[in-house]
Amino acid sequence: MMRTVSAAETAPTTYPWAVHAEGLGVRAGRHLAVDGLDLALGTGVHGLLGPNGAGKTTLMRALATVVKPADGRLTLLGESVDGRADLRRVRRRLGYLPQQFGFYPRFTVREFVEYMAWLKEMPKAAIPSAVQRTIDRVGLTAKAGARMKTLSGGMLRRAGIAQAIVNDPAVLLLDEPTVGLDPEQRLDFRELLRDLGVDSCVLVSTHLVEDVVAACTDVVLINEGRLVHQGTPDDLAAQGGEGDAGDSPAERGYSALLRRHRAEAGR
Amino acid sequence: MTTHLSPAVIARYVDREAELDEVTAWSVEVHLEDCADCRALVAGGTTADSQALLARVAAGMDRDIAEGPAPVRRRRWSPARNRWLVWHLVPWLTMTVAVLGCAVLLQALQPGLPSLVSLLAPVAPLPGVAIAWSRRHDPAWELIAGTPAAGLAMLLRRTAAVLAVVVPALALASTRTGVSLALALLPCLAFTAATIALGAFVGVRNAALGLGITWSLAVVVPTVLTLDSPAVLQPGSSGVWAALTLALAVVAVSRANNFRRLSSHS
Amino acid sequence: MRRIAAADRRAFDELYRRTSPWLLARLRRRCADDDVVADVMQETYLAVWRAAGSFAGSATSGGAVGWLWTIAAHRLVDAFRRRARQNQVPAVPLTETVAPAAEDEVMAGRVGHELEHALLVLPPEARQVLRAMVLDGFSVRETSLLLGVPENTVKSRARRARIALREALS
Repeated sequence: MMRTVSAAETAPTTYPWAVHAEGLGVRAGRHLAVDGLDLALGTGVHGLLGPNGAGKTTLMRALATVVKPADGRLTLLGESVDGRADLRRVRRRLGYLPQQFGFYPRFTVREFVEYMAWLKEMPKAAIPSAVQRTIDRVGLTAKAGARMKTLSGGMLRRAGIAQAIVNDPAVLLLDEPTVGLDPEQRLDFRELLRDLGVDSCVLVSTHLVEDVVAACTDVVLINEGRLVHQGTPDDLAAQGGEGDAGDSPAERGYSALLRRHRAEAGR
Repeated sequence: MTTHLSPAVIARYVDREAELDEVTAWSVEVHLEDCADCRALVAGGTTADSQALLARVAAGMDRDIAEGPAPVRRRRWSPARNRWLVWHLVPWLTMTVAVLGCAVLLQALQPGLPSLVSLLAPVAPLPGVAIAWSRRHDPAWELIAGTPAAGLAMLLRRTAAVLAVVVPALALASTRTGVSLALALLPCLAFTAATIALGAFVGVRNAALGLGITWSLAVVVPTVLTLDSPAVLQPGSSGVWAALTLALAVVAVSRANNFRRLSSHS
Repeated sequence: MRRIAAADRRAFDELYRRTSPWLLARLRRRCADDDVVADVMQETYLAVWRAAGSFAGSATSGGAVGWLWTIAAHRLVDAFRRRARQNQVPAVPLTETVAPAAEDEVMAGRVGHELEHALLVLPPEARQVLRAMVLDGFSVRETSLLLGVPENTVKSRARRARIALREALS
């Protein structure tokens, strides 16, 4: 079973960042939800924080190549994805879990993940073992044969995560993945996140500050479509003071940064 | 395999402490992948602590198998279904077929009317094609939109599913009402190709709507008002329709890249 | 495989009996930690038990052994990744000698003299990368996880190996 290693596979990595955006602008309907955003993400777990309406979901959708950027430049894994690019290559190495994802209810969990694996153009021979491996990784082994419509909220989210990671993506985008999970499930999920961050670039969008602090190595705070702050969770905590709202240092830092950003924008 | 491994080499391969050079180790592994007999030799030559480990693993597995779910029986037919049949199309296709059925009935009741079936033929596939890939109707749209498979090929596959229902229905309807098959099917195909080709520029749904409305206003309404057979559907026009279909198909394929992003085409 | 899919426990036990010693030996040469090896083996065979139906449909030319190794290899990567997070990556055994002794020359013929020459020239780290990528089928990312080196290092070592092989062939 000796396999050949292609020259392309061993060509040196030409890009410094897995995700790189410059002056990115993305529309949601008429409104420019992301406006002049600069972002650079490498390997690890990055938390995307921001209030409602900050443009998090729109940004995720642009990164997932679901929506085309209106202006600016966006590069994923060294390939430009704005304009007329060949998206297939990049999409094969992406994983995306939208905030509200639909599914065909009559599918079983295994069939759902298999279907998504097929859509992601994974080599057919590799699909069954990848599906089983992914189902085991997210902890759905017992429910692999259950129909999607019988799953509870937490299980459904896990199935969503499974389809996102089945192709072992280099860039993984998770939009509000912990919504509807109970605290124990959330702890499991953080374990999984840390696992995934070892060798891929993971961006988790959430409005729960404590999720970010627990699992992320890097925090990206955006507001009104612009980057407000990027740094470690400790950096975030350091931004806050006694007078800011919040139950934890990180939350206080978060409120402080938002307050300052709004003040600057108002000026 | 003419030469097999000697038991001595196998013993050295299995034993961690023993000296075995890299090249031989590689040869051993390549050979073992194919040769069940030599694997049996490996099984025979396990040391005591290896056997203990294997027994431990077996015991652990017994526990897990007893607790866990039974092996999954594979539904052989289901993967094929997923890719070609799209359940959310079913109500729309049913509606299309029902409308055609009504047209046939009406024609039978009122033979004096110009052929309703050939009037409906071009727009029959349009509802199906329009929603084949529509955000509002496909529940898994958001997930599918970011996959490499999303693109013209997928749209064509779903369109084929639509045509697989509409074309036989049209054929049946046209034979029942005495309309020539070519005159019923070719405009249908032409309009399908037009929807996709136009859809590359303005979105499939908008294209379908636009074409449907244009056809209704330009051809259907005057025909119903004047009760005259429309010029574009004269028997001699099949050649033109066929050529049109081909040209539009070429346009659609040349713009295949436009279909990668569904959001502008929903 | 079909019998296992039909929950035939005897068929499964038979598969285990016939293949586990081989898998154990092979895994041990990639991971010095026996606990990890035991975990990986347990997960591998469990996965086979649970998903036998899917595997039966897509039989590869290598037979059961081929994708047993594929499953085991992936589980090994997963185990290394979990431990990498906790900074407890198991060691990977390194073979000291490259060339076979005189009495083993007959075996060397199977791998090919060119490969042997290339292997002789390469430093041990490059040999490790070569084994991981060519013999075991790991990708660059997985190899970097297993060997604990950055991806670019894996790539440059693989490139060096290719050059050495090409020189040995010419």
